[in-house]
Amino acid sequence: MSFLERVDQTIRRSPVWRSIFRQPYPRDERSRAYAVMNNVFLHIHPVRVRQHAVKFAYTFCLGGLSFFLFLVLTVTGVYLMFFYVPSAAQAYDNILDIQSQVTFGLLTRNIHRWAAHLMVFFVFLHMMRVFYHGAYKPPREFNWVVGVVLLFLTIMLSFTGYLLPWDQIAYWAITIGTNMGGYAPLFNTPVSRILLGGVEVGQNTLLRFYVLHIMVLPLVAAIFLAVHFWRIRKDGGISGPL
Amino acid sequence: MTDTKAPPERREVLPVDPTRRTEIDKQRVPMSARPYRLLALVKQDAVVRVQKEPDDTVMTWPHLLTIEFLAAGVMSIFLLMMGLFINAPLEELANGNVTPAVAKAPWYFLGLQELLAYFHPTVAGVLVPAFVLVGAALIPYVDRGDVLAIRPSQRKTAVILFTMFCILGLALTFVGIFFRGPGYTFVIPYVTAPGMYFAL
Repeated sequence: MSFLERVDQTIRRSPVWRSIFRQPYPRDERSRAYAVMNNVFLHIHPVRVRQHAVKFAYTFCLGGLSFFLFLVLTVTGVYLMFFYVPSAAQAYDNILDIQSQVTFGLLTRNIHRWAAHLMVFFVFLHMMRVFYHGAYKPPREFNWVVGVVLLFLTIMLSFTGYLLPWDQIAYWAITIGTNMGGYAPLFNTPVSRILLGGVEVGQNTLLRFYVLHIMVLPLVAAIFLAVHFWRIRKDGGISGPL
Repeated sequence: MTDTKAPPERREVLPVDPTRRTEIDKQRVPMSARPYRLLALVKQDAVVRVQKEPDDTVMTWPHLLTIEFLAAGVMSIFLLMMGLFINAPLEELANGNVTPAVAKAPWYFLGLQELLAYFHPTVAGVLVPAFVLVGAALIPYVDRGDVLAIRPSQRKTAVILFTMFCILGLALTFVGIFFRGPGYTFVIPYVTAPGMYFAL
C-alpha cells in the first residue's frame, strides 16, 4: 500500500470523517441513493432521473448553468463588496483600486462582469429551450410563470449592477434605461423618479441601485429560485421526452 | 340427521401393463422427478400481468451529477479565461455634463431602445416591455392545445409565433448593438463609422 493510500485510509477511517460522511463512498445503487437523499446540496435532485433528462442535448444544462452563474456572481460579488463604497465621490476610485491594488481584484471584477452578461444570455436561452420542448404545458404552467419572474429579476440584477462602476458607460446607460421606463406611472409618480431618487442619475440613484443589487434582488431571486426548483420536482420532474 | 362428508375416494392407479405401454406412457416421468403437470397451454395475452411502468430512469449519482459537474467545470474554466484575458470596460468618471457620442442602454435593452427610434416612449419603454413580460407569463394559459403535443411539429402555430417574436427581438437588438452610431444615427461599423459604438 502506497503512502498516499494509507493517508487516504487513515482520513476516511478517522472519527471526524465518519461523523461528516455517515456512508462509505457510494459504489452500489443503494448507497448512491442514500448519497443523494442524505446530502443537503444533492437532495435538490431525485434519487433517480429519467434517462432523456441526463442527455446533454436535451437541456444543454442551461438552467443549471444559469444557477451556477448566480452562485459565481454571489461569491465574486461578496468579495467586491469589501472594497466598494456606494458613494458618487468614492465609487469610481474604488473600482480603480479594485483593479490595481486589491489581490485578484481585476480578475474578480472581470469574472463578475462576464458572468453577469452570460447569466442574462443563458436565462434567455433556457427560456427558449423550455418553450421549444413545450415544457410550459400543464402541469408546469406556474413554473413557467416563476421562470418569467426570474428572467425579469435577472435583467434587473444586471441593470442595477451596471451603474455601480460609476463611469461614463454606467451613467449614460442607466440614464437611457430609466428614461425609457420613465413614462410608466406608479402611484402617480413616474417609475424613474422612484428608481433614480431624483430627476437625474445621482447619489440617491447609486445608493438605491446598490441596495437593490446586493440585497433586495438577490434575496427575492433566491426565493423564486427555491420555488422554481421545488416546483420542478412537484410537477413531475423534468419534462419530455420529445 | 348429521351430514357427514364421506372421505374423498382414493382412486387406485394401477401401473400400466408393460405390454400395453403406448408412446405417451413411455414419455411419462414419475411425479417424484417432475412434481408438476402440464395443465394447458395458454397464449401470453390471457395471463393477467402486473401493471408496471417501463423503467426509463437512471441513478442521479453518477449519471446526472457527472454531467452537472463537468458543465460547471467547463463554465468555470471559460469564466477564468474570460476574466484573465478580457478586461471589463471602464471609462472616465461619470459626468452628467459630458454627453458621449451615443448613449446606449445595456445590450438586453437595446431592442427597446431601437423601438424608441420609431415609437413614442410610452410605447417603446412601457407598453412593449409590459406586453412582452405579461404575454410571456400568460403563454401556458393561452396555449390550451393538447397537453401531450409537445413536439414542435405538433404545435406549429405556437412555435412559428414564438420564433418570429424571438427573431424580431434579436434583429432589433442586433441593429441597436452594431448599427447605431453618434446621435443614434444608422451607421455601418468600420465602413461609414470609424469603429463600433458598443460597450458590454
